[in-house]
Amino acid sequence: MQVQVHELVGAVHEAAWLPWAVQYFFLIAISSTALLMALPAFVLGRTGDLPKARLALMVAVTTGIVAPVALLADLHQPFRFWEFFVYTHTTSWMAWGAWIVPSYVALLLAFAWAIHRPAFYAMGQENWRFAWLFRLLALKGEANGFARLLGLGAGLAALGILLYTGTEVAVVRARPLWNTPLLPLQFAATGFVGALGVMLVLERVLNRDGALEESLNRGLVFALAVVGGLGIIWFTVARSGLSPAHTQALASVAGFPIWKQIAAWGALAIVVPFVLALVAPRNTGWATGLIAIHAAWMFRWTVFMGGQAVPKVGSGLYDALLPSGFDGLMGVIGTFGLWIFLLIAYTTFFPWADATPPVGRRPTTPAHPARSV
Amino acid sequence: MTKRRNILKGAVATGALATFGVGYAGTVKKLVKGKWSGEVPRNKHLTGNSIPAEYTVDPQTGDIALNPDQAMSYTMCIGCTTMCGVRVRVDKKANKVLRVTGNPYSPMSTDPFIPYESSVAESFAAMAQAGKGNGLTNRSTACGRGNAVLQQVENPRRVLKPLKRVGPRGSGQWQTISFEQLVEEVVEGGDLFGEGRVAGLREIRDLETPAVEGAPEFGPRANRLMWMNCVDDGRDNLVLRWLKQSFGSNNFTRHGSYCGGAFRSGSGALFGDFKAMPHAKPDFSNAEFIIFAGTAPGNAGNPFKRIGNLVAKARSDGDLSYVVIDPILNNAQNGPSGERSRWIGIKPGTDGALAMAMMAWMFDNDRINHDYLAQPSQAAADAAGEASWTNATHLVIVDESHPRFGHFLRGSDLGLAVEGEAYSDADPHLVASSNGPIPAGNTPAPLFFDGEVDTTNGPVAVKTSLSLLREEAHRQSLEAYSDDCGIPTAKIVDLAREFTSHGRRAAVDSHGGMMGGSGFANAYALSMLNTLIGNLNWKGGAMIAGGGFSETKGPAYNLASFPGAVKAKGLPAGRNVPYEKTSEFKRKKAAGNPYPADGPWYPNAPGLATEWISSMVNHYPYGAEALIFRNTNPVYGIPGVAPLVEKLKDPKVVPLIISIDPFINESTGISDYIVPDSVMYETWGFTKPWGGVATKATCARWPVIEPRMEKNAQGERVGMETFLIATAKRMGLPGFGDKAIPDAQGVLHPLNRAEDWYLRGAVNVAMLGKTPVAPASDDDIELSNVARIADDLKAVLKPDEWRRAATIYAKGGRYENIERSYDGARATYAFNKPMMIWNEELGSFRRATTGTRVPGTPSWREAEFADGSKVSDHYSKEDWPIRVFSYKSPLQNSYSVGAEVLLRIVASNPVIVGSALARAHGIRTGDMVRLSTPGGTLESVAVVREGIAPDTVAIEHGFGHRGFGAHDITIDGETKPGDPRLAAGVLLNDLGLIDPTREKPGVWVNPISGTAVRQGLPAKIRRIA
Amino acid sequence: MDTTRRGFLGAIGKVTIGAAASVAGASQVAEAAQTDTPTAVPHWGMVVDLRKCIGCQACTVACIMENDVPQDAFRTHVSVYELVKDGQDPAMVMLPRLCNHCDDPPCLPVCPVEATFKIDSGEVLVDASKCVGCGYCVQACPYDARFINHETQVADKCTFCFHRTQAGLLPACVETCVGGARNFGDLNDPESEVSKMLAHNEVSVLRPEMHTNPNVYYIGLDDVLDGRVAGEAAYHSEMADSVSSHEEGL
Ligand SMILES: Nc1nc2c(c(=O)[nH]1)N[C@H]1C(S)=C(S)[C@@H](COP(=O)(O)OP(=O)(O)OC[C@H]3O[C@@H](n4cnc5c(=O)[nH]c(N)nc54)[C@H](O)[C@@H]3O)O[C@H]1N2
Ligand SMILES: Nc1nc2c(c(=O)[nH]1)N[C@H]1C(S)=C(S)[C@@H](COP(=O)(O)OP(=O)(O)OC[C@H]3O[C@@H](n4cnc5c(=O)[nH]c(N)nc54)[C@H](O)[C@@H]3O)O[C@H]1N2
Ligand code: SF4
Ligand code: SF4
Ligand code: SF4
Ligand code: SF4
Ligand code: SF4
Ligand SMILES: [Mo]
Repeated sequence: MQVQVHELVGAVHEAAWLPWAVQYFFLIAISSTALLMALPAFVLGRTGDLPKARLALMVAVTTGIVAPVALLADLHQPFRFWEFFVYTHTTSWMAWGAWIVPSYVALLLAFAWAIHRPAFYAMGQENWRFAWLFRLLALKGEANGFARLLGLGAGLAALGILLYTGTEVAVVRARPLWNTPLLPLQFAATGFVGALGVMLVLERVLNRDGALEESLNRGLVFALAVVGGLGIIWFTVARSGLSPAHTQALASVAGFPIWKQIAAWGALAIVVPFVLALVAPRNTGWATGLIAIHAAWMFRWTVFMGGQAVPKVGSGLYDALLPSGFDGLMGVIGTFGLWIFLLIAYTTFFPWADATPPVGRRPTTPAHPARSV
Repeated sequence: MTKRRNILKGAVATGALATFGVGYAGTVKKLVKGKWSGEVPRNKHLTGNSIPAEYTVDPQTGDIALNPDQAMSYTMCIGCTTMCGVRVRVDKKANKVLRVTGNPYSPMSTDPFIPYESSVAESFAAMAQAGKGNGLTNRSTACGRGNAVLQQVENPRRVLKPLKRVGPRGSGQWQTISFEQLVEEVVEGGDLFGEGRVAGLREIRDLETPAVEGAPEFGPRANRLMWMNCVDDGRDNLVLRWLKQSFGSNNFTRHGSYCGGAFRSGSGALFGDFKAMPHAKPDFSNAEFIIFAGTAPGNAGNPFKRIGNLVAKARSDGDLSYVVIDPILNNAQNGPSGERSRWIGIKPGTDGALAMAMMAWMFDNDRINHDYLAQPSQAAADAAGEASWTNATHLVIVDESHPRFGHFLRGSDLGLAVEGEAYSDADPHLVASSNGPIPAGNTPAPLFFDGEVDTTNGPVAVKTSLSLLREEAHRQSLEAYSDDCGIPTAKIVDLAREFTSHGRRAAVDSHGGMMGGSGFANAYALSMLNTLIGNLNWKGGAMIAGGGFSETKGPAYNLASFPGAVKAKGLPAGRNVPYEKTSEFKRKKAAGNPYPADGPWYPNAPGLATEWISSMVNHYPYGAEALIFRNTNPVYGIPGVAPLVEKLKDPKVVPLIISIDPFINESTGISDYIVPDSVMYETWGFTKPWGGVATKATCARWPVIEPRMEKNAQGERVGMETFLIATAKRMGLPGFGDKAIPDAQGVLHPLNRAEDWYLRGAVNVAMLGKTPVAPASDDDIELSNVARIADDLKAVLKPDEWRRAATIYAKGGRYENIERSYDGARATYAFNKPMMIWNEELGSFRRATTGTRVPGTPSWREAEFADGSKVSDHYSKEDWPIRVFSYKSPLQNSYSVGAEVLLRIVASNPVIVGSALARAHGIRTGDMVRLSTPGGTLESVAVVREGIAPDTVAIEHGFGHRGFGAHDITIDGETKPGDPRLAAGVLLNDLGLIDPTREKPGVWVNPISGTAVRQGLPAKIRRIA
Repeated sequence: MDTTRRGFLGAIGKVTIGAAASVAGASQVAEAAQTDTPTAVPHWGMVVDLRKCIGCQACTVACIMENDVPQDAFRTHVSVYELVKDGQDPAMVMLPRLCNHCDDPPCLPVCPVEATFKIDSGEVLVDASKCVGCGYCVQACPYDARFINHETQVADKCTFCFHRTQAGLLPACVETCVGGARNFGDLNDPESEVSKMLAHNEVSVLRPEMHTNPNVYYIGLDDVLDGRVAGEAAYHSEMADSVSSHEEGL
C-alpha cells in the first residue's frame, strides 16, 4: 500500500549528547589505539618500531588526558561525577565506563612515566634550571622494569575502552544507526585511522623521517581498508535485509539528501587517503594524516550528531546534524586547544623522543643532551 | 632560532590554553556551582518545577484538603469568543495565575456538566480521582489557547496606564498620562495634539443639532460618536447604557460583519429576523448525520471546546457520522474515526451551488419532509405533532409589475375582512386550495402552486414559497452546480441521499466559510436544507440555544432603564436600513430615478462594522467626530481594509479616536488615547453561549486576581468601567452617580464603581426563575476564594442578597441542569416562529446601488460587486486563476499571539498549497512564494499538502501581526523593540479587495449582508525562491 | 446519566481548609509508595482514544504550565499528520505523545547512577538531585520522551503528574483534554475506566517491536504512525528556531 504522510505539527528534539561527546569519543579512541600501537616496541621490545612507538605514546598520553576532560564537559551536572563511583548501576555500560576510563588513564600515565623514568632521572642529574623537577619526576630512581607490566595493564584497559565506548553506544536499540555490533569495530578501526593520522601529521612537524612516514602510511592503508571493509559489510547487511536492525538503520536515513552527501563524503574520506598512502607512501603524510584525522572525527560527528538528528518517532530529521552556536563550536575548539597545549608542553619538556623499551639497568648515556628551556 | 621557535611555541601554547579556557568556561561555571549546575527545581527530587497540587482529594472518601497558598476560582476565559467557564488556579501571594482548566458546572467546558446544586467541594472532587468515572466523566477543560492565555495577564507590552499619542497617528509613539488628564481631555476637547481644536465628548453630545444638516433621519449630532466593539464580553450592557441611554448615540456595532455575519444573516433570512439573526445548531450528541459546510468542529467554531468535545464523543461512542465540506482538511476531520468522519473539498465561496444541487435532487427524488412543510401555521403544526413550521405553503405574489411583488398574498388582497390593519400580523397569509386561496388554517396545505388568483385588483400570479424554492433550485442542472462547486455529482447525490436517510436526526451546520462574495445566499441555502427535512427543535436535529439568565432585567434591580434615560435616535452610520428612508432617496426620486444611491445600503442586515469604516472615511451618510474602539481590532480583522485605514490615520477624517484595550493592537495603534483595560481574570461580566447549549447558561466573570492597571486618584483601578463612570459624571450624564440603579421597589442605588453594576447584576441572575439559587455556604465562599470579594458583596448588596450573589461567583455563573436539555424528544427551548422558505423582506427589496431585486429564497449566484457586475468580469479566471481563503487556527485566535507558549507549538503560518497546484508552479515545501490578489500581495513560505481543494491556497488566521509588540512601541521616549516572533507569518486580510465599483471606497462585501469577503479571493501565485 | 446530587460523585467528603498535605517531590514518597501493600498500589496507565483527539494541544500547554517545562522541550505534545492512503481521501491524524512509563523501560538500565527508576505504581521517574545529566537515558528511550532540561540540567520527562496523582488529582493533560482522548486510571483495577476501555477496544502501543511494554495505550492507531513516521518533518520557521534557541546552543 502506498502511504503518504505529511507531518503538520511536530516537535523538535534537541541532541542530549553535545559536541563534547564527539570530542571525547574521538580523543579516547585515538588514545587507546595509539597506546596499542606503542606497545609492540615498548612492551615486546620490537625496537624497529621505536620511532613510531614514541609518537604513539606521546599521542596516547596527550589525548588520554584531554578525553576525560571533554567527557566531564558533556555531563550536564559535571560536579556530580563522583556519583559514578558511588552508585554503580551494573546494567549500564556507562557505569562500567566510569571505572574503565580512570583505570585506563591512570595505567597509561603510569606506563608513560615508567617508560620515561630513566630519562627523567638522567635529566635530574644534570646541572640545569629544572633539574629539580625531573629529580622529583623520576621519584629518586631510574629503574623501569615494571613498565612492561604497566604497559600490559594499560593495553588491557585500552581494549576495555574500545569495548565499552563501542558497546555503550551500540546497545542503544532506540537508535538504529548506533545499534549494530559493527559499531565497536568501526570505532576501533577509525580510532586507528585517527591515531595514525595524528602521528603522520606530528611526524611531519617533529621528525621528518621518510621511513617513519612510509611506515605510518602503510599502517593507515591497512586501517582504512578495515574501515572500508566494515562499511561495505554494514551496507551489504543493511541492503540484504539479513539484519532488521541494520535495514532499519539504513531506512532511517535513506532518502535524505543530506545523508547521501554524508555517505559520499565518508567514502571519499576513506578512498582518497587510502589511494594516496598506497600510491605514494612518502611525502603525502600531511595530506593523508589530515584527511585521516578528519575521517575519524567526521565518523563520530556523523554517528553522534547525525544519529541524534534522526527522530525516533516523528518525521523527517531534526536539525541537530549541523548544530551551530558559539558555545558548541568553542567546545570543539576548546578541546583541541587543550590538546595542542599538552602536545607542546609534552614535546617541549619531556624527553619523548628518548623513550626506549624498559630495561632493568641504567642506560649509560642519555640519547640526547638535555634541553634548556 | 631556538629562541624564536620557543617564543612561537609559547604563544601557540598560550593561545591553545586560552581557547580551552573559553571552550570550557561553561563547564567550569557549572563545576563552581557545585551539586546543582542548573537552576535548582522547586522539587529537588521527582517532580522538578511542577507546581504544588492545588488541593488534595482523598480518592476513597472525597475529603478535600486545600493548599493554602493557592486559590481556585471559577470565572471565564476570553481566549476566544467562546468565553468558556473555567477554573483559574491562582498563586495568592504572587497574584499570579498558575494554570487554568474548566469549570465543571459549565456546559462550555464540561459534558456532562455537574448539577448546579453541587457544592464547590463536590465540584472539586468531581474532577479528581474520587469523581465519577475516576474523575473522567465530569472532567472540565480549557483548550490549548485557554491554557496559554494566562500569559496575556503578564504580557510585558500590556497597557497599564492611560496613553496619549505623540507624533502622528499610528506612529507608535506614546506618552503616559494620568487618568484624570485623560478624562478631562476627551470630555472637554481642545487643541489636544497641537494639530488644531478637537471637539470633546461634551460638545459632541448634542441631542438637538442634527448629525447631518438637512437630513433629520440621521438623528442628532450625538450620533457622531461611534462605538466599535468586539463580541459582547459580558460588559456591553454597561457600554450600551452609557452610549445609548446616557450619551444618546445610536451608533454601536460589534464585529459580526467580519466574523461570520454572512452565515448569521443567511440564517436570519430563514428564521425571519435580520437583526437578531437567530440560528440553530445540530444536536451534536444525538444527530446521526451532520454536514459541516463552512464550519470546522474541533478546529474552531463557537463554542469551540463544546463542539469539539461533543463531536469527538459522538463519532467514537455515539451514532454520529459527519462530512466536513471545506476547501481545506483540518482538525475537523479525524482519520481514526474512519467513515464516521469524512472530508470533501469544495471551491471556496460556492456552497450555494452544492446546497441548491442537493435541494434539486431532494425535490426530484421526493426526499423533502412533506408532512412538516405542509403545515401552514403553528396551530397546524401543533395538531400534526410537528415541533416547528414553515411558510412553504404560503402564496407569494410573483407578478413583477404588482406593487406588492415579492410579498405574501394576504387576506386583504382578496378583500377578506381583517381584524386590524391590512398587511399587519392579523392579516392572514393565504395558501392554495382546490377552491382558490384560503387563509392558512390548522390543517396541511398544498406545497406547490403556480397560477393566477383573483384579487380585488384583478388577477395576479402567485406561487407557493416552496414552488419558488423548487424553481430556484432547478435554475441549473446538477452538472452545472457540480462544475461550480467542484464536487462531483455522484458525491452530491450521495450527500443528499445520506442527509435525507436519517429522518430528522440529520443537520447542516455552517459559519465562517460563508464569508465569501455569495456567502449570504449560500448560508441561506445550507440552512434551508435543515428546514426541508424538518429537523428544527427536535432532539437529534437542529436546536437553538437555551439562552441565559439576564443580569439587567431581573427581579431585584433594573439595570436596563433608569430615570432620565435618553432615547438614541436616527439611522445608524452603517447603512443597514432601507435606502428608501433617506433624504437622498427622496431627493433623487424627485429628480427622476432614485437608483443608484451614492453607496450601498443593507436593509436586511444588522449593524455593520465593515461598512462603518467606509462611512467614516467617506462621511457617507455621515462621519464620526469621535470613535471608540473597545476590545476590537477591525484593522487586523477586516480583509482589504488597509487603504481605508490609511485615511483613518488622518485626524481630519475622524478627529478623535479613543481605544479601551489592554493591548496596543493594530487598531488601538491608530488611536489618540488608549484607556488601559483589564484582562480576562481581572474583570467582571456576564455572558451566555451564543449557540450549541440547550440549557440556560450564564457565565459570570469576576476579578479572581488583583488587576494590574494603575489606580486613579480615587484609588480605583483604571479600566473601561472607571472610564465610563468618570466621563459620564464629568458630563453630568443621566444613569450614573449616586442615584442611578432602581431596585424592585424603585429605590435608587449608586453607580460609582464597577461593583455597583455587576454585583447587582449577579443578584438578578441569582434571583431569576421559579427558584432562586441557594445562598453560598461558608465553604463555597472559602473554596472558590469568593472571600476575595466578600467585602464588596456585603457593602454593595442587601443582607439577604449577598450570599446568593456569592453563589453566582462561587460557581462561576448560573447553569440549568443538563436534564433540562430536552423535553421528551424535543428541545426544551424551541424556536416558535415560522421558517422562511420565502423571505418576504428579502424578496421584495431593491438594492440601492442597482435598483434590482434578489430572490426571496436561497439561490446560487456568482459573486457580484456593489454595482451588480460580476466579480469575475473585473478579475478574470485567466488573470487570477486561484482562490485564496482563510481558516481559523486551532491554536491561535486573533489576539492570542502574545501567549508565548502557543508559538512553541506552532510558530508561524506558511501558506498552504495543494500538491497539483504546487507541481504546476514548481513549488515545494519550504519555498518562498508570492501570492497576489487585486487587493494586495504577500510573500511567504509555502507548505505543500494533499488535503486542499484544487487551485486554492489557504492561510491560517491569527498570524502576520503588526500590533501587540510585533513592531516597535515607544512610550515616554523609551522604545520596546518589536519581537519578530509576534510578527511571524502572514495575514490573509492583506490580500482583501476594495470594491472597484464603489465610488466611495469600501471593502468588498456581500451585497445583502454587507459582510466582509475573506473566502475565495481571486489570486495568483508564483514561486520566488 | 445519573445526575442526582450525590450520584455524580464517587465520594464526597469533608473539607479541610488551609491544611494541604505536602505531596510528592521527594524520593521518600516514592520509596513509601514502593513499600505500600501491593493491593493498595495502583498501576497507572493511560488510554488515548485517537478518535477523540481534536489536536487542540490543551494537553501540551497544560503540561507546560503545570510542570514549568522550559522552551524547546515538551513532556508531551500532539503530532498532527495528514495521511493519504492509496485511493483514499486524505485524513487527519492527531497523535498525542508522552512517556509510556514502560514496564520494561530501556531508559532505566542505562542510567549509570540509578537516578532513573520505576516505582510500584508504574511511573518511571528521575531523581533530579541524583541525575548527572549524562543524557544516556535520553538516547535509550525509543520514544524521544526524555530530554535534558536546560534550566535544571537534568533529565526530564513526563512523571504521569506524580505530584497530582499523589494528591488524588488527575494528570494535568488528562484533566484538560478537550476531546476526551486522554484517559487515566488504575490498570490494576478491573473496574477502572481505563481497564474497561482496554477490555472493550482494540488497542495498540507505539513501537511494539521495542518490547518496552508501555502503559500508554492507543485506540485507533494506524501502523504507519506507530514508530518512526515516513515523510517530511513539519515546517518549522527558521526565525522561531533561532529566537528560541537557548544558551547551550547545541
Ligand atoms: N481555535 C479557534 N477557535 C475559535 C476561534 C479561533 O480563532 N480559533 N474563533 C472563534 C470565533 S470568533 C468564531 S466566529 C468561530 C468561527 O468558527 P468557524 O466558523 O468554524 O471557523 P472558520 O475558520 O472561520 O471557518 C470554518 C471553515 O470554513 C472553511 N471555509 C473557508 N471558505 C469556505 C467555503 O467557501 N466553503 C466552505 N464550505 N468552507 C469554507 C475554512 O477553511 C474553515 O475551516 O470560532 C471561534 N472559535
Ligand atoms: N482573514 C481572516 N480574518 C478574520 C477572521 C478569519 O478567520 N480570517 N476571523 C474573523 C472573526 S470570526 C472575527 S470574530 C474577527 C475578530 O476581530 P475583532 O472582533 O475586531 O477583534 P479581535 O481580534 O478579536 O480583538 C479583540 C481585542 O481585544 C483585546 N483583548 C484581548 N484580550 C482581552 C481581555 O482579556 N480583555 C480586554 N479588555 N481586551 C482584550 C485585544 O487587544 C484584541 O485585539 O476577525 C475576523 N477576521
Ligand atoms: S474555547 Fe478555549 S480560548 Fe476560547 S474561551 Fe474556551 S477555553 Fe478560552
Ligand atoms: S517512554 Fe521512554 S522515558 Fe518513558 S519509560 Fe519508556 S523508555 Fe523510559
Ligand atoms: S541523564 Fe540522568 S537519569 Fe538519564 S541516564 Fe544520565 S544520570 Fe540517569
Ligand atoms: S501526565 Fe503530567 S507530566 Fe505527563 S504529559 Fe501529562 S501533564 Fe505532562
Ligand atoms: S487535549 Fe486531548 S483532544 Fe486536545 S490535543 Fe490533547 S489529547 Fe487531543
Ligand atoms: Mo468570530
